[in-house]
Order: sequence, then structure tokens, then C-alpha cells
Amino acid sequence: MHKEAAIREPLILGDDVTYTKISNDVLATIEGKTTKSWKVLMTIATIVGLWGVGNILYLIGVGIGTWGLNKTVGWAWDITNFVWWVGIGHAGTLISAVLLLFRQKWRMAINRPAEAMTIFAVFMAGLFPLIHMGRIWMAYWILPLPNTFGPMWVNFNSPLLWDVFAISTYLSVSLVFWYIGLIPDFATIRDRAKSPVPKLMYSLLSFGWSGNAKAWQRFEEVSLVLAGLATPLVFSVHSIVSMDFATSVIPGWHTTIFPPYFVAGAVFSGFAMVQTLMLIVRKVMHLEQYVTVKHIEYMNIVIIVTGSIVGVAYLTELFISWYSGVEYESYAFINRFSGPYAWAYWSMMTCNVISPHLFWFKKLRTNLAFTFFMSIIVNIGMWFERFVIIVTSVHRDYLPSSWSMFYPTWVDIGIFIGTLGLFSVFYLLFLRYFPVLAFNEVKSILKSSGEKYKNMSDEDFKKLHPVKK
Amino acid sequence: MANSKKYWKGLEQLNNDPKFLASSRNEFPEELPVDQFLGDKETLENSSTSRRDFLKYLGFGVAAASLAACESPVTKAIPYINKPEEITPGKANYYASTYYDGNDFAPILVKTREGRPIHVIGNKESKLTKGAINSRIAGSVLSLYDNNRLKNPLKNGKATDWKTVDAEITKALAEGKNIKILSSTLLSYSTKLALSKSAGEKVYDIQGNFKGVKIDTNFVEYDEISYSGMLDANKTTFNKRAIPTYNFEKAKTIVSVGADFMGNWLDTPMYLNDYAQTRKPDNDWMSKHFQFEANMSLSGTNADVRIPAKPSEYGVIVANIYKQLGGSVDAPAANANLESKIAAAVKALKDTKGSSIVICGSNNKNIQLIVNGINQLLDNYGKTINIVNHSNTKAGDDAKVNALVEEMSKGEVDVLFIYGVDPARSIGDKFVSALSKVKTSVSFATKENETSKLCTYVCPDNHALESWNEYNPVEGCFTLQQPTISPLFNTRQAQESFLKWSEEYKTVSYYQFIKEVWEDFIFPENGVLSLNFNEHWNKALHDGEICFEKPQAEALESTTAFVNATGISSIKIDGASFAGDFELELTQNASVGAGAGADNPWLQETPDPITKVTWDNYVTMHPSEMKERGYNTQLGEESPANLISITVNGKTIDSIPVVAQPGQAKGTIGIALGYGKVVGNMTEPTGKNAYPLVENKDGVVSYYVGAIIADVAGTYPIAATQTHQTVMGRDSVVRETTLATYKQGDKDAYNPEHKLATHENGKTVKKNIKEFDLWKAHPVENIGHRWGMSIDMNACIGCSTCITSCNSENNVPVVGKDEVRRGREMHWMRIDRYYSTDADIEDKSISGYRKMEDPADNPQVVHQPMMCQHCNHAGCETVCPVAATTHSNEGLNMMAYNRCIGTRYCANNCAYKVRRFNWFNYLAYDKFTEINPAQDDLGRMVLNPDVVVRARGVMEKCSMCVQRIQEGKLNAKKAGTKVQDGAIQTACSASCPTNAITFGDLNDTTSKINSEMNHNRAYRVIEEVGQQPNVYYLTKVRNLENNEA
Repeated sequence: MHKEAAIREPLILGDDVTYTKISNDVLATIEGKTTKSWKVLMTIATIVGLWGVGNILYLIGVGIGTWGLNKTVGWAWDITNFVWWVGIGHAGTLISAVLLLFRQKWRMAINRPAEAMTIFAVFMAGLFPLIHMGRIWMAYWILPLPNTFGPMWVNFNSPLLWDVFAISTYLSVSLVFWYIGLIPDFATIRDRAKSPVPKLMYSLLSFGWSGNAKAWQRFEEVSLVLAGLATPLVFSVHSIVSMDFATSVIPGWHTTIFPPYFVAGAVFSGFAMVQTLMLIVRKVMHLEQYVTVKHIEYMNIVIIVTGSIVGVAYLTELFISWYSGVEYESYAFINRFSGPYAWAYWSMMTCNVISPHLFWFKKLRTNLAFTFFMSIIVNIGMWFERFVIIVTSVHRDYLPSSWSMFYPTWVDIGIFIGTLGLFSVFYLLFLRYFPVLAFNEVKSILKSSGEKYKNMSDEDFKKLHPVKK
Repeated sequence: MANSKKYWKGLEQLNNDPKFLASSRNEFPEELPVDQFLGDKETLENSSTSRRDFLKYLGFGVAAASLAACESPVTKAIPYINKPEEITPGKANYYASTYYDGNDFAPILVKTREGRPIHVIGNKESKLTKGAINSRIAGSVLSLYDNNRLKNPLKNGKATDWKTVDAEITKALAEGKNIKILSSTLLSYSTKLALSKSAGEKVYDIQGNFKGVKIDTNFVEYDEISYSGMLDANKTTFNKRAIPTYNFEKAKTIVSVGADFMGNWLDTPMYLNDYAQTRKPDNDWMSKHFQFEANMSLSGTNADVRIPAKPSEYGVIVANIYKQLGGSVDAPAANANLESKIAAAVKALKDTKGSSIVICGSNNKNIQLIVNGINQLLDNYGKTINIVNHSNTKAGDDAKVNALVEEMSKGEVDVLFIYGVDPARSIGDKFVSALSKVKTSVSFATKENETSKLCTYVCPDNHALESWNEYNPVEGCFTLQQPTISPLFNTRQAQESFLKWSEEYKTVSYYQFIKEVWEDFIFPENGVLSLNFNEHWNKALHDGEICFEKPQAEALESTTAFVNATGISSIKIDGASFAGDFELELTQNASVGAGAGADNPWLQETPDPITKVTWDNYVTMHPSEMKERGYNTQLGEESPANLISITVNGKTIDSIPVVAQPGQAKGTIGIALGYGKVVGNMTEPTGKNAYPLVENKDGVVSYYVGAIIADVAGTYPIAATQTHQTVMGRDSVVRETTLATYKQGDKDAYNPEHKLATHENGKTVKKNIKEFDLWKAHPVENIGHRWGMSIDMNACIGCSTCITSCNSENNVPVVGKDEVRRGREMHWMRIDRYYSTDADIEDKSISGYRKMEDPADNPQVVHQPMMCQHCNHAGCETVCPVAATTHSNEGLNMMAYNRCIGTRYCANNCAYKVRRFNWFNYLAYDKFTEINPAQDDLGRMVLNPDVVVRARGVMEKCSMCVQRIQEGKLNAKKAGTKVQDGAIQTACSASCPTNAITFGDLNDTTSKINSEMNHNRAYRVIEEVGQQPNVYYLTKVRNLENNEA
């Protein structure tokens, strides 16, 4: 009597998956004709993106006054959007670097699109600190460039300067990591390309990848090194972004809990955004066999965990504001949940703290429609989190004489929506021209056991592999 | 030695090589290729260097062209051909002058730069005002550069020339039988004489005698804000139709019934400094101020005890005070609440007989008679109130004005001169229709107004800063007004015009005329000084003011003359409420006044000291009554006001917004007069003209009327600089106490130090907050200068003069109503106004905080000037990524505009929210074309050349007038001395009428600021945050017992 160990559910579903099929499935969009739905989506995204660009040009042409800011609230949607996009940009690197180090093979189906999302999100994020400057044409002054202006040098005490370093480092490492991963896949496309132009393009992009064993060995090593480099960045970026607030004197900003709280929030929102995108991509591009319900469920579990951390952080903040005995601090939080922006606070609480706990139910966390809905909710909640932190803290700070409200203008809203459009443009281009899954890596997790054949009747086998006569 | 050459260029020279000797005779030892580039075509073509030369020329040409393109050509600066002796570019000249517009009077000092007046402050040498001005006077310099001033004389609304106007008016004067002059109160003998001389002595007969001026009935003085009833009462009481001068400095008890003597009542600038002297809790005594009033006025906010009362009750209050002091009058009973307060006031008055002042804002003769009676019973005449050296600033007679209008409407007036007033606006339709019956009417308006539009001729007067004049504001005091710039337009001073039209003085300039008048009439008064006339004149012109003491005998005679009771016992006071829904008290705003500031963008943008609303007038109503009617009481950017209509005696204002005013007497409402003028290049008038609501009662104008109100559909955006009303129980923002507590001497009771719990050797100890420091101290303590400021909250009355003065000094842009509504006013300094609340400020729960947001029904008010605190550990400095804001080694927080990239991080991290961001290019963006005077060439002339105009996208804030500090330091250096304490004044401290703001060197142990810094009342706002500001505030002390409200 022999007993076979229970076999883990495979990461790639379906009996018919072969190496060729994987390549075919993933490259279908690249090698096939442009679909109508892509064209429609691209048109919409371009229009929305251009609308955003138009708003940005108007902003730069006329002045920051086209936003709804005032003497009391100096940052609102601009920095909210910045932190929101940076947060979203967290999931990609976390998935590809941290999960790589932990040898989580399920990451392979999602790391490429997640990393692409990261990079485009960081593009969007980086836009806001630039355009929020009153004099964007002097933006290069925030770099420590040797200059002839006299003894002018950047202020290394300023968290805004730390941001510059943190974001640019994060962006460059993520970009390199992402691109290195793309090289073998580009080579495959190159090899399969039939017409000369794509062949040339992809051969340029693939850096002459030969696919020999040594190349693969180096590839693996570089991936590991970059993963090692990128992992601390996952934690540093949002920690540093949070210091913009944590190092200030404004009650509600001046909070030591911010770094871990922001990182957890970032992972939370990043995974939600991956969910939003992946649920659409797997459906439209027929990648259900590779991005399975299992993946969705894993990501939902991450959302429960990070959502809970965020929830604990919110409650800790509230507790500390009371426990500190500092009048301004406690008022800042009382004002948060009971003042004129209470609606924003409670939106945040509902979206971020209460709703993720629905994922404790297996039925819900494996339900794709519900997951999609929740991913949107979490993204809304995380936007509100940043809005609540930034605006409700500063709109009522120390001197009641200066207390005010913030009302967004159509330029505020237009630029935010525009960045959604621009992001979509980048993402659609990525889907159309880049291999959406790291298919060469995915092939490594394809199960090639004989289990299927073992249980197959001879008839069926013959049908599957008809013997040529 | 024959060979004197010690050094040689080479062996050739040493050896006197013949070749070398030959070449050394030439200037250039080598042949220059001159012919190659200057030669003919052939040599040029053969030249070996032509290509290089070409490139050189090309390079030079491109460089020169691009260099030339870098610098835009300057076309507007024209250098002096002959530099005037007194003008040194870069150095300011100050001229003593006088401001008088018929309503406000103050001796002033005009700062000019390169011949342009750019700043006005009070003349600190003045005995009358001691340097006090108000925001309207500070802002008046801007109206000089108003591009909408009349630039030519007009005939029937069309531009003409002076020759035509002169000829035609002279003719009209010769033909006219009934010639009348309607003018604001004229303080000037020269003006009166000029007027009389002009019309061939027809206007009135001066008889060459300055003392016994016999004013003919043809001459009508008219105050747009009437004090006619008070003048009439004084005529009855003292046989002198004049306003007394008040010496608030000696007044231990002040009872004001509806008179806002700190804002807009009579000679406000003459009262402010004196009043502030009595508000010092460290002195032997501190005055006690009772204010009965309907609207919340500046005086009300500063009073120790403020009692809301309806205007119809003013008479009752006055009569009851008189009765309780022992006078005999028919006084109706006051209601219970008033009764107890009246009793308290009377008790205080009785205790301070001979050193008190009772005043009333009513224009009712009977009420004023009783007030005179009260002051007589209190023995105040000759002590705190002086009717001998009386004030001349108000002389209007409503009865005469009414008679004139009557006469005009009958068509009996041939020629009417209108000078200094706008009766079509302030009297209204009645005057307009009467004016149409006048054959020839002449206006002297500087700017088109409602009257000038209807006049046959407009002979535009010079601006005050372009004019000569002489004034006699108070008996025995004379001041001079001198021009500080030549007339900008083709205008002529009104007095000059009058002289032109006279027979005798056709060729005399008004300057000569004044000098003659001064020599003939005023100089002889000068018995004390042994100067010749020229010396005297120069001294008077230099000082701007000259005062002679009146003989004491006359003073005594006058006070005894009053002893006969003037029939007060027979006066019947009618205490009945006015008909209508509300009793309306028409008032004036601190920066717009009777209308002087209504077309001045600086003044429109200076917020009302109490409601903090800009760019509008509105109805003030008690919040509880607004809630009953369903009106919005909480204004905000997107929270507009409700509109109502107001009807008084059949005259209606169609729609006017309602603004909540805590402390407004219930059953009353208030509206500010003076509004409804067009500002700058705007198309619509700002605010509503409320003059039509003024009522004529018993021949005098009354500002207390019964009003019917009705809701009007729609809402109206209101621009307020402060939308939160209370201080939320934050005692480290505002500290106040009662005199009783203060006198007990326990500092912890009224100004406790912040303590922080910490662990030491395992024990919890409380240590002073000053001992905790995250940062290294800046090395400015006791090294060099350390500039700082202290603000005495007891002296600050909230008048907002400093705001206007700061705007003028620091080129602060005007941003207009819409931007103010969005919370983007650019003011470097503001005055925070906090109302007290009835809620328990110790209840720091959710509901507790909510209750704290509501001001009390009749709140106590605190005014707190707030500007950059120049923190030693400034939040802004650490967060700027490009180090655009840094700390100077003199303790200033500096702002390098050029370096700023506009992240606004500093503003967010400023705990005091004093940083202002340039949201737009205010100098060019078309949203501001209509309102920002700096957008037109003329308006830009008011800019202070010492202060840079900030670009779009940079942060700005109070610099503590660093340009003045620099100037002061340079002056001290030149003089070879240390910077003397008080030598450097910031714009705000220099303009403060009550000297509430002290600027100085904290390191100078002998300085005033140093002693104030160490004063028991001194604290720093939110000191526990640890930013170590350089601005100190002195705790406000109210003269109250601990259980007294």
C-alpha cells in the first residue's frame, strides 16, 4: 500500500497548459492586432490624461491660486494625491522583492503588472511635488547641485529634501529591477517576431539576451541582489514621506507612529490597486489560468493584515492624543472625528478599518466581484486617510483665528483625475507592448508531472496524442 | 655707473642689440596685421586670419546681441538734470503736515522718497494727538495715486480748461444775486477768507477781523456725520456752538452711551493716546470704562463693562444717570438689567468726581443737554472736559443745511459752490432735486462723486498731499498742511480757485495768502516766542503744529458761566422703542469711516476690527435673533450670508447681507455708513450706501431709526479674514485677567509659566518649559542685536491702523474680495479678535468644544495683533528644502524671496499661520487689474522702493521692517553711536495710536523692550510648543473685580 502525499494545488491551473501555451497566452496581445476595446480604453484614457495635462499647464501658467488652498491650508489635494500615488507604488516592489526573498512563487504571476503599476504610480506621485511648487521653473534647486548662486545649498534638515532622495532612489531601483526582469521576455518576443520593425525594437530592448544557462544564472543573481536593495526601500520611502508630517509642529502631523503606519497603509493601498488592475487584466487578457483565485485570495489576506495594522494605528493615534494630555493634540483628533471634516474621517474609517474585515469570510475573499468592489473601496479610503491627515490637521491648528476650511476647485479635481488618465495611458501601453506576465519565470512553476496521464484511460490518451500512421 | 639698467627684458636689451634698439622705437615690437583686415579686397582674401576674425566678430556679435536682449530697456526712469537740493536718491524726506477731510483730523508726518509721498504716520510731536492717527489717515496716501481722480476741470461733464471755467464762473458770480457755499466744516481761516474774497466779499463779510468772524447766512457748513444736536446743546449750555475737547488722560471713570470715541466719534485721534495712558495696570490707577451701546463698537470691545442697550434707551440711561447723581429730570425707569449697570456706573462716577467723562453718541439736543448736566454735576468742566479750548472740527448745522436745500428747491439760489462734501449721496434725493433748480453749481470734488456728476462745473481740487493749508482744529492750536508733491494732474486747489475768481487776489497764490493770513492773524497770538515772523513760520512749518495756551482766567469764567441749569428739569425723555422690527443704529466702520476710505482698496481690504469682514457693509444682528429667523450665523468661504431688505420711513435698501454680531443689543441692528462707492476700476460699487436711511428728526439728522426688515431670496458671499470667533479656551494664546487679580501680585494666578513633567533620579519633577530644548540655541543672546517686539494687549484697542500702515510700508498687494473670501489676504500683520464664550472652557470634551465655538451673548473681546513671531526655533526654517527662510544673527527670521520655490511647507508648519503665499501674479494677472493699485503706473508710485515687490509663487511674511532696521543701523554707524532705543520703529509700532507695540533690541538691557520682556505680564503665544518667539505679549488686564461681569 503506498500513500501519495497530498499535492498542493498548482499555481497554474488547467491541464492544457504547456510552455508554448504560456508564451502564446501572454504574448497574444503583443503579437495580435490591436483590439477595439483597447482602442476605446486608450482613447478615454488619453482624453482624461490630456485634460489633466491641460489643467497642469493652466496651473503653471496662472499660479497655485487656481487650487483651493488658502493661508491656513497650504497643502491639500496636491500632497494627498502625492502620498496616495506613492502608497500605491508600494505593492509592486514589495511583491517582487520581498516575496522573492521569501521564495513565494505565487508572486510570479503578478509581479510584472504590479511592478509596472508601481513605476507608473511613482511617476504620477512625483508629478505632484513638482507642480505644487509656486515656482516650478526653480525646481532643480531642491537638488544639491554645485552652483554659482553664491553660498546656496539645500537644507538637509528638510524632510521635503529627504523625499526627493527617497522617491528618486525608489524609482530608479524599481525601474532597473523591473527592466532586468523584462529582458528575457523581450528576447522571447524578439525571437518570435515576424515583421522587421518589432523584431528590431524588441532586440534593442532585450539587450542581446542569449538565454544560455550562464545568462540565466546571472539573471537570478542580479534579481536577488536587486531584491535585497529594493526591500529596505519599500520601508524607507513611505517612512520618509511620513516624516514630512511627523517632523512638523502641527498637531495631528507631529506623530511618531507615522513611519510604520504609513508603510502599512501603503502596502494596503498598493495591494488594493493591484487587485483592481489584475481583476480586469486577467479577465480581458484571458489570464485566468495564471492569475488564479488563489492569488486574489492571498492578496486579500495581505489586505486584511495591513488593514488591521492601519486600524490599530488609527486607534493608537486617538488613544495617544487623549493620553498625551496635550490640549492641541487632543483637540486635533476630536476635531478629526467630530469637526467639519468628520465625514472624511468616517469615510476613511469605514473604508479602511471596517470593510477589509469582511475578507475574513472565505466566500467573500474568493469572490472576484466583491474583491474588485473592495479594492476600489480601499483605494477611496486610503485617499481619504491622506486627506484627513493633511487637511484636517492643518485647517484647525494652534490659533483659532486662522482656522479655515478647504474647498477644492475644478483644477484640483481635474489634475487628480488627469493623473488617473495618464496612469491608465501608461498602463494600457504596457499591456499592449510589454509582456504582461513574467512568462519565462512563470514557466518555471509549471507543473509537468505525469499525474494527468497516470489517471488517463488509454482511449483518452490516444485522443490527445493520436499516433500518426 | 653709466649703466643704470638693473633689469632687462632679455640679453638683446642688455647688450644693446641694434635690432632690438630699432624695434623698441615702435610702439608694437612686432608688425601688426592691420593691412590684412583693413586692406583692400585682395589682401583681405589673402589674409591668413580672416576666418578667425570672422568667428571673433560673430562670437562678439552674438554675445553682444544676447547680452543686450537680456536687459529690458528702461524707459520710465528719467535722471535729474539738476538734482533738487533736498532730494537724495535712496533717502527718505519727512514733512510735517495735517490731514483733515471734514471728518478726521490729525497732524501727520509724510514720508517721501525721490519726491513721491509714500507713507503717512502721525506727528508724534503733536500736542493734540500725540501722534495718533487711524487707518483711514494711514491709507490716505494711496488716494493720491488714484487713477480715477479728475484730471481736468469739467463743464457739464465734459473736459474743459481752467481759462474757460474761470471766465464763466467769474461771470456767473458777477451776475448772481444769491450765492451760496455748502462745505464741510472749515477749520481754516485762510480758506474762509479765500471763499469770502472770491465772490467779491459777497459770500460773507470778514471785516478783516479774525476773531469776530461774522458768518453770513450764505455760508453753510455741513458735516456728513452730523453732530448738530450736540452743538446746539452746547450753544444752549455754554453759549458756544462748539465741541469741547476731552482729556481722557485724567478720566478715571468713562461712561459712554453709544459714543464710539475710539472708532468714529468726533476727534478720535485726539482721544486714543490719552485713553491708553489710563489703561496701564501698573500705574496708581486704571480707568474704568462703561459702555452702553447697541452695536458692538471698538469702544465697546475695549470697555471694562459693556452693556447692550437699544438706541431708544440711550436717553433713558443718560437721564437716569443724571437723576441718580442728584439732578432733576423726568426720567422713565430703565429696565432691570440696565438699572443695575447704571447704578454701578453712577457709583464709579460719584467716586471719581472731577476726573470722569460722560459722553453720548446721540445727536439729540435734549439728551446732550442732560449729558452736559451730568458732567457739570460731576465737576468735569475745566478738568477733564475743556470747553474753552474747544474743538473746531465739527461745526455743521443741520437746520441751515435744511434751509439751504429748501431755498435751492425754490430756485432761489443762483450759484452754489460745493466743497468737501457729497450731499447728493449723504442727503440724497431731496438734495438732487433741489440742485437741479440751481442755475450754476460748482463742485470741487477730487474724484467724480454723485454730486459732481450733477454740477455745472467741476473744478477738481488738489489732493491734500498736493495742497497748502492752515487749520485751527482746537482753540489756540494751529497746524499747517504742506504739499509733498506737485499736482499730478491738471487740478487746482479749491482755495486757489476762489482766489482766482476774486477781484483783489487774482494773482496771489494760496501759499502767499496763507502766509499773509498767518502773519496778520495767527502770528500776533504768539506772544511767548520771541521769533521774527520768518523764523516763526519756518518753525511752524517744520513742526506742523503750534499751540498757545489760553489764559486760565477765561477758562474759569467759562466754567462758572455754566452754573445756571439750562432747563434740564423740563426735558421729557421719551423712552419708547422705535416703530418697526428693529431699532437700527447707523454707524461707521473703522477703515471706511464716513466714506473717506470707501474707494480706497487698502482700506476696503483692511478688515473691520470686530466682524473682520472686508469689502462690504452689512447688517449686524445678534446671532440668536438670526437663528430665530433662520439666517446663517457662521460665515465662511462657501458659507455665504443671507440677504434682507431694510425699510426706514419708506426708503429701502433692496438687499443687504446679514452678519452675526455677538453683543449686538437684542432688538437692534446696525449698518455702516460710507459704503457704496466704486473702488479702483471696478464696475459695481462696493457695499450699499446707507445714507438714505438716515432720518431727519426735529431738524437734526438722527442715526437711530426704526427699521422694517424682510427676507430677500438668495445668498451673498462675504469675505472675512477670520471665521472662527472664540479662542477655544486656549489660555496660552490669549491671557487676560482682572485688575483685582493682577493687583494681588501672584503671577501664577494670571500668567503662569508652562511646566513640563519629567523624570529625574527616578522622580517626577515639573520643570519650566524653557529648560527643554531640542535645538542648539542661536548665538544671539547677549551678542550684538537681538530684535524683538512686545505688544501690550491692554493698550491695543484693535483699531487696525497698524495693518494699513504695514500694507503701505511693505508693498502688500491688494487681492480683492474674492481672494479674501478664499482666505488669501496677503496682510503681513493681522489683529486676531476673540470673543469670550459662555461655555465652560475647562470642559474639553467633544460637546464642550462644540459649545466653546459659540461666543457669549454679550462677549468680552480681545484684540491680539499677530505677525511673524520671529521664532528662535522656527518651524518654518527647518522644513524649507532650499533654505529660503533662515535665521539672522540678529534674531530675525528672514525670507529670501529669490531663493523660494514655493512649496508652502513653511506656512503649513508655522504655528501662528502668519506666512502669506503669492498665489497669483498680483502685478499682472487680470483678476486683480480692477482692484490692485499696483497694476497701474500711477498706483505703483506709492510702492516703497526699499521693499521688493514679491513675485508669484513665493512666500512672504512680516520682516519686522528689516529695511528700517538696516537704515537705523546705518544711521547709528554714521553717527558713530550705538543704535539708540526707540530710534528704529517698525511701520506698525510707528503708526500705533496707543503705543501698544514696542520694537527694540532685546539684548539692550536698558531698552524698553527688555523691561517689557521681563515684565510679569509678559508671555509668548503658545510658548509650550517651544519655538521661542521674539515677540512678547503683555497679559490683558480688565478693570474688574473678580466677581464682576
